[in-house]
Formats: sequence, C-alpha cells, structure tokens
Amino acid sequence: MNFFTSPEPHIPAVRTRRDILRAAAHGFGALALQGLLAKEGYAAPPRVNPLAPREPHFPSKVKSVIFLFMVGGPGQMDTFDPKPALEKYAGQQLPDGIQSAPSQFTKGDEPILPSPWKFKQHGQSGMWVSELMPHLAECVDDICFVRSFTTDSVVHAPAMYQVHSGRILMGFPSMGAWVTYGLGSESDNLPSYVVMPQPEGTPEGGTPCWGAGFLPAVHQGTVFRSGPNPIMHLKPPAGVTPEQQRRTLDLLQKMNELDTHPLDSEMAARISAYELAFKMQSAAPEAVDFASETEATRRMYGLHQDRTREFGSRLLLSRRLVERGVRFIQVYSGGGPVSIQWDAHKDLKQNHEKMCGLTDQPIAALLKDLKARGLLDSTLVIWGSEFGRLPTSQSGNGRDHNRHGFTMWFAGGGVKGGQAIGQTDDFGLYTVGEGYTMRDFHATILRLLGLDQHKLWYLHNGRHEKLTDFGGKVIDQVLA
Amino acid sequence: MILGCWVRSCVSVLLCLSLLPGEPVPTLSKDEQRVLARRNWWSFQKVVRPEVPPLAAHPVDAFLLEKIQAKSWAFAKPLPKEALLRRLTLDLTGLPPAADEIQAFLEDSSVTAYEKVVDRLMASPAYGERWALKWLDVVRYADTNGFELDAERTHAWRYRDYVIESFNRNKPYDQFLKEQIAGDELYPGNKDALVATGFLRAGPEHVVGGNQDLELNRQEALVEMTAGVSGAFLGLTLNCARCHNHKFDPILQADYYRLQAVFGATKGDEISIASKAEEERYAHVQQAHAAKLEPIKKAITEIEKPHRERLRAEKRTRLEPHLLAALNKPKEERSPEEKILAKNAEDQSNPAWDEVLAQLNPEERERRTGLRQQMHAINLDEPEPAAKAYAVAPMDKPETTYILKVGDHNSKLDPVGPGVPLVLANGFQIPEAAHGRRAALAEWLASPEHPLTARVMVNRIWQLRMGAGIVRTPNDYGTLGERPTHPQLLNWLAAEFVAQGWQVKAIDKLILMSEAYRQSAELDETKLREDPENKLYARAFRRRLEGEALRDNVLAVSGMLNPKRGGPPIKTPIEPEVYDLIFTEYEADNLWPLPKDRSEMYRRSIYLLNKRTVRLPMMANFDQPDTMTSCPVRPVSTHALQSLSMINSDFMQQQSKAFSQRLQGMPAEERVHAAHQLTLGRPARPVELQLAREFLAQGGTWNDYLLALMNRNEFLYLP
Repeated sequence: MNFFTSPEPHIPAVRTRRDILRAAAHGFGALALQGLLAKEGYAAPPRVNPLAPREPHFPSKVKSVIFLFMVGGPGQMDTFDPKPALEKYAGQQLPDGIQSAPSQFTKGDEPILPSPWKFKQHGQSGMWVSELMPHLAECVDDICFVRSFTTDSVVHAPAMYQVHSGRILMGFPSMGAWVTYGLGSESDNLPSYVVMPQPEGTPEGGTPCWGAGFLPAVHQGTVFRSGPNPIMHLKPPAGVTPEQQRRTLDLLQKMNELDTHPLDSEMAARISAYELAFKMQSAAPEAVDFASETEATRRMYGLHQDRTREFGSRLLLSRRLVERGVRFIQVYSGGGPVSIQWDAHKDLKQNHEKMCGLTDQPIAALLKDLKARGLLDSTLVIWGSEFGRLPTSQSGNGRDHNRHGFTMWFAGGGVKGGQAIGQTDDFGLYTVGEGYTMRDFHATILRLLGLDQHKLWYLHNGRHEKLTDFGGKVIDQVLA
Repeated sequence: MILGCWVRSCVSVLLCLSLLPGEPVPTLSKDEQRVLARRNWWSFQKVVRPEVPPLAAHPVDAFLLEKIQAKSWAFAKPLPKEALLRRLTLDLTGLPPAADEIQAFLEDSSVTAYEKVVDRLMASPAYGERWALKWLDVVRYADTNGFELDAERTHAWRYRDYVIESFNRNKPYDQFLKEQIAGDELYPGNKDALVATGFLRAGPEHVVGGNQDLELNRQEALVEMTAGVSGAFLGLTLNCARCHNHKFDPILQADYYRLQAVFGATKGDEISIASKAEEERYAHVQQAHAAKLEPIKKAITEIEKPHRERLRAEKRTRLEPHLLAALNKPKEERSPEEKILAKNAEDQSNPAWDEVLAQLNPEERERRTGLRQQMHAINLDEPEPAAKAYAVAPMDKPETTYILKVGDHNSKLDPVGPGVPLVLANGFQIPEAAHGRRAALAEWLASPEHPLTARVMVNRIWQLRMGAGIVRTPNDYGTLGERPTHPQLLNWLAAEFVAQGWQVKAIDKLILMSEAYRQSAELDETKLREDPENKLYARAFRRRLEGEALRDNVLAVSGMLNPKRGGPPIKTPIEPEVYDLIFTEYEADNLWPLPKDRSEMYRRSIYLLNKRTVRLPMMANFDQPDTMTSCPVRPVSTHALQSLSMINSDFMQQQSKAFSQRLQGMPAEERVHAAHQLTLGRPARPVELQLAREFLAQGGTWNDYLLALMNRNEFLYLP
C-alpha cells in the first residue's frame, strides 16, 4: 500500500477487512460499523484512523523521538566546542581576516569574551564537554556531536521555525507533525506528538513550533502540562463523575450510530474518536503518575532536589511516553521571561550555570535510563537550539546570537555515538569545512526514522511540500 | 506584434489583450520560447461559452447529467423539504433555520417556495458573513502580525467588514478585485476602496526589535503581496518560481519578479479615514484616558523604585573595577571606550523586571497587584482610535526589482520591470511609472477576456456550495493542479458570470437552484465504489460545519448568540492552558482582556480575534487554517482531542447549561422534541424519544443530554 503517492497521502488506502480492523481505533461502535463496512466488494478507501501506524520507507529500529530544545541559544564555545584561542584574544577584537558577524543586537566588533568554563575530555571516545555539564559528560560515548550547524536568521522566532519546520517562516508543518504524518502512532490511547513547554512560558516561536501547518490538524503537537490531567479538556469539569460522562458518551454513540450510514467512514471515524477520547482519559493520567517509579529512578532524574525537579519530571515523563508508544516528544528548556531562557545577552556565567543546573542531570538520567531499559536503540534523542552564541561580547559579559556555526547532538536509535562531526573556526564563529543546514538536520532525522525525505510530501497550493523543501544531505557519519 | 514585452509605452489594456499572439520571435530566450510553446494549456485558453446539452432545463444539471447518464445513473433522490431548508440555511448563513422559518417553508406548497427561501437567505446579512469566512481563508486574513510579538493590527478589521459588505451588496467581482489590488489608484478618495487594499497586507509580517535587515523585510513584504494576488485571483502557484523557473508550469523566475515589481512602488501604511473632528475628539478622549492611568502607573513605579535602586546598587558593587570606574566618570569626560564600558556597566547593573518583583514584600505585592488590576480595568474603556485604513500607499520613487538567485535578496541577478507572466501576457505591458502599476495589473485581471479570473472565482462559488470545486485545486490551475471534472460547465459558468456583470449572487443562485444542489448526500454503494471522489456529482457531498460555524450553531441553539455585526475583533474566554502559550517576556497578567460587555463574547466567530500564534482550540481542532498561507480547501480531520474539547471544554459545558435553561419548564417529551427541533431542525423520532427516556431514567441530566445532542454527527454535518 503506497499511501505516499496517493492523492491524499495522509489517508491510508485501507482495502481489506483486516486492514480496516487494524486501522480502526478499536472502539466498540467502530467495530460494529466496520463489520458492516467491510462488505464484499467494497473497495473505496474509508477514512478510519489517520494515525494508524505505517511502515517506514527503509528498515529502521527507531520508534520514537525525544527532541530537547534549549530555548534562546546555548553558547557552543561554553558547552561542547572548546575554543582555547578565545583566552588568547580575550578583550581584543577579532583578528584581521576574520569577518565580524553582525547579530540582532551587536555589530560583531565587540571584544572577545573567553568561556568562563574549563573543558575536559570524557569517556572512551574522549569527547570534550565543559564543566557546566558534569552528568552529561558521562554519556558522551552514546552521543554524536555535530558542531557545524547553521540557521538563516539571528532572530529567535524565525530561527526556531527553521529548526522546527525547515523554514524561517511560520506556517510550515513542524518536524513532529511530519513524522506522525509519515509513521502514524504506535499508541492507541495517547496523542502521537506530545509537547512539553517550560512552565514559566512559551518559547519565542510559540505554538507554530509544534503546529501542523497545512497538514491536517490531527498531526499538530499536543501540549502536556504538569499535574494529574496533562491534556487540555481531558477531564469533565468538576461535578461530573466518570460514570456520568461514560453514560453521556454511551448515549452519544447510540445517537451517532443512528446518524451513520454503514458506508460512511468519516462518520465512523467520529465514533472511534470518542472512544479513543474516553480511553485517553485514563491512559494520560496513568502515564503521568510516577507512583510506580522507584526511588532510585526519581533520584536519578533529580526529582528529589528543587533545582532539577521540574525538568527532571518532564524527562521522566518523556521516557514513560516512549514506553507507551508516543511517536514524537518535544521538551523545551526555557521560555517566558528572559531570566528563564538560555538567551545570555548579559551575565553569561550566571545564565548558563542556572540553565545547565536545571537540565544537566535530568538529560544524563534520560540517556542512562533509556539505555538501561533497552530503549535507547529505538529512541532518537536530539539536543539543540535555534542558534549558538558569538565569541564576541555583549554588555561586557554576555553574548549575542550566532547562526553561523553551532552544536547540536544526537543520541540513541541508529546514531553512532562517541564522535564529533564538523567544526567551527578557532573562535567558534563560522563553520570550517562542511557545514550543515537545517535541511541536512531534518534529512538526517528522517533517515534515522527510516523515512525518505523526498517521498514524504504533501501537496499544498500546487507544491509537493516536504520538510526538507528541495532536499538536504543526510549526514552519513551520524548513522551507526 | 509585440511579444517580447520590451516596448516601454503604456498601451491600453484591452487593446493589448485583443492582440493575437504571433510566432515566437528569434530574440526570445530559449526559456521564453519554451514558455510560449506551452500557451496551449487548458486554463490559459479564452473562455468560450459552450452549448448547453439538451438534457435538463437547468444548465448546471444538463452539464452534469451528460456524464451521469453515460453511466446510466441519475442524481440522488431530492432532499426532503425539512433537510433541504436546513442545508440551505446553514450553507448560506452558517446558522440553523429558525422554527418559524421551517414552518413557513413546510407550509408553502407553491412552486416558488424554494426560490423564495433562496432569495430571503441571500438577502440576509449573514450571507456576507458566511462568504467572508471563505474569502478570508483564501487571503489568509488575521488580526495580528504573526511571529513572536504577534501584535494586533488595530485597524485591520475594516478589511474584514469590507469583505462581508461586498458580498452582501453583491458587489461585481471585477470591482471587488480592482478595489483590493488597486483601490487607492483606481478610486482615489473612496474610503472603502482604500480599506480594500488591506488585502495586500493580509498576510503575516515579521516585526521585531534589534538590528534590521531592511532589504530582507522589504522582500518578505513583496513576497506576501505577490503570493496574495497569484493565489487568490490568478489561481497559479507563482511563488514556486521565486527561486528558479517553475518546475512544472510555464512560469519563469523572471515572471515571478515581474509580478513582484508591480508592487515595487507600494508600501504598507495606515491612512486616516476619519474626519478632522473625529481625530480631534479621539486626541481629546485619549488624553483623558491617559490622565486616568497616570497616577496608577506612578504609584506602581513608587512601589518598585526602592527595590530597583537597591538591586542596582548591589549589582554595581559586583561590577568589574574598570566598568565601575567608567560609570563613575562624568558623562562628558568619558572617552569613546569608556562610553562603551559605561553602557555595559549600566546593562549589567540594570535589574530585570522579575528580579524587582521578587524583592517585593507581601503587602507591596498585594498593593501593586491591586493597582495593576485598576489599570487593566481602566484600559477596558480605552477609546477606539479614530478610523484608519490598514492599507497601502504609493512610494515616491519605484525601487528597482531584481531577479534574486534562489530568492536571496543578497544575490541580485538582472533587474526586471513590472509585468505579468509571459505565458499569459499576449503583449500586455504594465507602465514603469511608479503610479498605476497595480491599477494596470487589476484591469488586466478584471478583463472579461482574462482566461483565469472568472474561472477561478466561479469555481470558488461552486466549491462553497457543492463541497468540492470543478477544479479540485482552487488555487492551482497549472499542471500540478487537478484538471476540471467538467471543463464545459466551468466555461459556461465563467461566461455566464461575466455576462451577468460579475455578480457573485447570480452564479450562487444559479447553482443553488439546480437539482444537483438539492440532491441527497446519502451514500450509494455503486456510486461510492465507482466514483469514490464524487467527481460526477451524482450525490451531494457530506459537509461538516467548520469550527467557526460549529461554534455559531452551538450559540444559536443555546440562545446565547449575539448577532451584532462588524467592528473591532472580540476576545472570548480562553483556557488557562492556551493563555499560558501566549508568548511574552514580561508580566503575563493582562494578555487577554475580555470585553467589558460580556454579551460581546457570544458574537459570531467571524468577529473573534484571529491571532496568528494563539489559535482557539475549538477552531484549531476543527482545521481552521493557520492564516500563514492561502487556504483554498480546508482539510477535515477527525481525532480524539476534538472529541475531548466537544464534551469537556468550558464553552461546551456552559452552552449545554444555557441550552438546558432555555428549555426549562417544558414537560419532558416536549423538551426532547424542542431540543431536536433546535439542534437538528426536526422533532425527535420514536427511537430518539426512547433513548432520551432511558438516559434520563438512568439518572442522566438534561445538561448532559443536550451536550450529547450537540455532539451528534447530524448536528455537525450539513444534511
């Protein structure tokens, strides 16, 4: 079944009774209707469950993605890309021959600011990590650093859109939407694409960062919030008991069966959707309930200390969602007030120590935990941001945005860990040798998931729209 | 014969269009020759009015029956009267029929009963509101800029109201087109025509602080204007040729930039359309308003001041000595280096707003919160600014437009003058002068001879009423677009449209009066098997209410709908989860002020604030487009989050309560009938009475019963 080339490629062309049953969301009403629907000789493609799981284009072990997004732009020369030359040139301007890089607020001719942190090599692989991330440093043998990514804007929102959707404009489907569109969902009682923003506020790009763009709304990310009812509208309002709601739903389903012609798959899909909604009402609170997690696990994620509890909880939840078949999970560190973003225009030291303090232990815990549970092979973990930071200073002790060369990393499913690919110049300003665009970033992620960037398209206003537009290069060295 | 478009004189539009194309002349480039060789594409051919097949009295039916009868099929059976009225009313107004309207129609057995209803509904103001929803999708209208700051466009709504009024007044489409592209040039002094040019600015715009790449900003504005015109009126995906020659259609990259050059002397502007007296009055009331806020702002500053000062002093003690030294030096004595150091010192010691707030003691915090609330309350009475048009204005001097390598404004190739795509040009020229470029483009598009303009619009009318366009890709008449299912019908409708003076209502009514429109949507196994996409129109399409219409219908049923028309956009309550997603780096205590007059919150959805980054869940879940690109066809998706919001959202809960109150006091059976009458336009059937009885006997509440009714497929779908 080649749904990628059908006129409505997001709708699987279901043809046999078995396919229909597999694709249906297993609602009781739906099953009854599907029985009627699957009459002999009936060949039209019914729209049953647009999120039914689908085979990728190439074999791939990767089932889930966790995308850790550091809002505001961590400095690459302060984290994973050591630049000893900055010490030498501290307080001076960039030497002749190095073109300065004007940014959103600085002209690029400001004095050079060395990194306040020391770097050391770690693991078998000897990867460099600064002292800001002692926990993550223990995981470097599973991590593939790419030090030469670039984006096209020095402004947060457009650069964020580019990382999330491939374009500096709003309105294109986000990576998670493309992935669920391409692969469907492994879970039949949780959303396929879950987003967890910083509780203090939304990232600068806002909801388009997990939007479906012109793809059907079913592919948009669903925001999970802290607390027992993570999904908006999940539970009936106070005063309505679960039994009462079940009764209302039963009545509705009976009414809807009255309204639904046996051949009408669209109506049948609505019946399934209510059943799925009902299942989600118990599945989502179960997913966010950590009661079954051991004390050791909680401590590993840092749930016992104020500093790491919040981010640690979101990452522990991410692992639980992976276990429950959620396809794409997007977690933001940073959002809202500048004080809770990585956007260190001033006081880099205070900012990055704070942000790394919030995230370092939980991220390392996530990698170790996934590995210990045998999930790291089937889970792709990505760490990154909309850009990096300049080697030159802003306000004397901060850094402005640098889009010309910055680091992101991959770990887990299909990734060859313990290596660093690509490089920036002595100052961490520009890429040297091969640089990678966001198209390359996306092409690589799709490839890891077994998706061919050129076959995953959607016809919109006369264009075969793709995540990578006219194509990116898969960064082969990343692949195991 | 002038084919190369290099003659600089302004030739009359119609004269040019009447020129016959000759053979490609040798001076043309290979690309241009290739383009001209492809002028034979169906949608570039002049509309020729075809003979109507002698198969039915109504031309629409006659054209459709040709193919239907070839299969030995017939139209589906006609919709029963009750259902027909419901379909028609929902279709024309987006609202359900009222009880007395249903009764009147059922009792009217005259042959003109249906036509009378069509006329009545087309004369209703809701007709334009319904049409505007469709048109605003096409032009990607929103009330805000988009991107991170996503500021509200104070005066943009006048364009929305202009669209509604234009459809209500049956404004000829050629005029509608001309006003939107060049209202300022063609109808100087006409305020409506100026407002209409808001069309050119309907798309998103990136407005942000910091260093600006002015050329990039300008290029983005031009891209939006060009995309707007080509998608909405031309039905061609010209934007595909922004980076390279079109891969599939005979559109050159130069064609794209020629069209962009039409806007090369046009900039966005907000232009006063208020009288002197209105402006003065506004200045006066605004001053009074500001005066009311003044003491409160001052009091807030007073509370914060000591803490801010203390924090600043503390931070200064931590400054590096050379920074502090520079800061302590009198301003006039600082060297250039020291000036920078002093500025850095100020930046480093300037406390952030949240640092200051963290210092407040509980008493101060409470007092400050109270003051903020007072301030927000006063701001609810902020005077409405004197009227302006969110429009465009001419620039003094046209800028030079260049072909840009892969669309990058830093990689300029050859300059180009304004023009239309070569494949359609037939020698047509757009004058180089700054003034009149858009006017020439608009006149060219609005020419009765233009092969695309009328086809594109009649297809939109058809799509709105029939459920899918004759061309199923309504913004793309190129090779990647779908071919028309009924090319002759499309031609006939386009010719008729022009013959009827471009009256949308004329074509609209024509379609509505056909048998094809009035047939049932019931599925038939054979037709479904052999024509799954319903390309023959041998049954009606199943159509779901859009999110906006769904909300309006719920409000109509509950009795809460406020039918007030027009005016600035309205905020309705949003879920705390949605509120939290509004981006701000500052205090998040008044990001979504609700209207003082709460009945405003129950206005029709077309009047709700359409904010690009804050989508209302009920709308977003039901596929409301994101207003970033033109949306000619909304996808229809069905998923669990939709179901959750339809049963659990505060809005649905509140509305089922209001609905329940509306029916209070009636005997149970009567109440069930009334509920069906209001939601579905018919009394309950025996099996439905039985379901109601069982549900209520098991302890189900009326609220829940009505909530279930408003979730029914029959409620969400047009009959």
